[in-house]
Amino acid sequence: MIWFLFLGDMLVMAFMAALAVWALWGSSDKAVDQAAGIPLNDERRDG
Amino acid sequence: MKLNGEQYHDRVTAWLTGFAIFWSLLGMASGVYVAAELVWPTIDFGHEWLSYGRLRNLHTNTVIFGFGISALMATAFYSVQRTCHVPLFAPRLAWFCALGWQAGMLGGGISLLAGWNGGKEYAELEWPFDIAIAVIWISFAIVFFGTIAKRRIQPIYVSNWFYGALIIVVAMLHIVNSLAIPVTWSKSYSLFAGTQDAVVQWWYGHNAVGFLLTGGFLGMLYYFLPKHADRPIWSYRLSIIAFWAFTYSYIWAGPHHLHYNAVPEWVQSLGMVMSLVLLAPSWATLVNGVMTVAGAWEKLRTDPALKFIVLSLAFYGLATFEGPMMAIKSVNVVSHFTDWTIGHVHSGALGWNALITFGTFYFLLPRLVGAELYSTRLANWHFWLALAGVMLYVLAMWGAGVSQGLLWLSLDEIGELSYSFKDIMASMKPYYALRMVAGFTFFAGAVLMAFNLWMTAKGRRIVCIAPPPPVREGA
Repeated sequence: MIWFLFLGDMLVMAFMAALAVWALWGSSDKAVDQAAGIPLNDERRDG
Repeated sequence: MKLNGEQYHDRVTAWLTGFAIFWSLLGMASGVYVAAELVWPTIDFGHEWLSYGRLRNLHTNTVIFGFGISALMATAFYSVQRTCHVPLFAPRLAWFCALGWQAGMLGGGISLLAGWNGGKEYAELEWPFDIAIAVIWISFAIVFFGTIAKRRIQPIYVSNWFYGALIIVVAMLHIVNSLAIPVTWSKSYSLFAGTQDAVVQWWYGHNAVGFLLTGGFLGMLYYFLPKHADRPIWSYRLSIIAFWAFTYSYIWAGPHHLHYNAVPEWVQSLGMVMSLVLLAPSWATLVNGVMTVAGAWEKLRTDPALKFIVLSLAFYGLATFEGPMMAIKSVNVVSHFTDWTIGHVHSGALGWNALITFGTFYFLLPRLVGAELYSTRLANWHFWLALAGVMLYVLAMWGAGVSQGLLWLSLDEIGELSYSFKDIMASMKPYYALRMVAGFTFFAGAVLMAFNLWMTAKGRRIVCIAPPPPVREGA
């Protein structure tokens, strides 16, 4: 059981490490800024 | 001018907001009444439907599912259209979802008062309501994911990831935990038995807390906090990492509800470890939220809605620190089966869920009807009443819980219990009286909000709002 838990923990860590690497290097600053700005320009009111 | 005559479907959001406020008042009133019953046990006057055993379930179901889910549906419908730049997919289905949910909550509430009860905490409703909830939830999923599928902009904004996780995971939890064999219209028996039943129940119970009361409301935070503060989220990359870390870790944490019970030791340890891991994504979101507001502190002086949201962030940080600490087995030996747990739950439910929802409603409703808030002064009163109420509540339950835990563990020189259960419970009366006062204070603030928002919306129509024009490639 100890090995099962250790393996599970390592899989979680590997997933999170891969995710962090992807989030930091896999996306351009422009794309990230564009996504972050979505709520600030999302409606047009009737005049 | 409107884009191709398209408008966002906001009437359904406005109605859901109204329903959520109704359920919040009913749920808090029943909560204050059951708190009073713990001080004066005879005030059920011999009526079964006024008894603690029935009213307590009405309280939890109306605040979590009536208030919480109605608020999440309202804000999910509002934000998914805007973050996808398209009106809702299948708006009639959205109305079916909104009104069906209210009918289910009304019938479910009456059934609880009548004594129908499946016996599972936070899943008390009997099988006819379970089936109705599943059907309505699937319609919620169709409207939400249908809107995302027809979006006009490529990125799926982070709030939609959280709302999406809420919809998918709650469907999975509800369907599996509700599997039962019906014997009459009002009674069924769980498909699981004994320890397996307990594990499934707390896999459901804790993840309902996780994906509904945490994940769903994080969706609300990630959309409405940047709107309030008028600046993008501090680190969008951190929000994505926090989402996946949260989703990946939370699902394992349920067994911490079963410490020192008849489940395997390794399951308990796994629940404890994954609960501690949860600190990372929880506080990543906390840091992201605080840093987003960091450049807009001056708004706190004039914007009561932002005050509620910032305070809710503080309670989010507190509750998500306290939870993992309570999951540590050596801490849990004191806290388990005591009112400390009730204090923890309410620091999250009142301090985080209710406050962020109040802040969002103060922002949302005036925008929906195109008017200023009726009274900023009343909203400020509400803020201070809510803060006083939640602080008093949490302090009373911390005092009660730690006292109970330590007194129950106290042994005399021959190894027998130093204090009887009856003596310990008798010593709780001042704490329970303080909790009742705290609950009433919080409830009084919510009544002020209901009046303020009613006066804001009274006699007004929903404003027509259109999506922004499409962005041309290369423009």
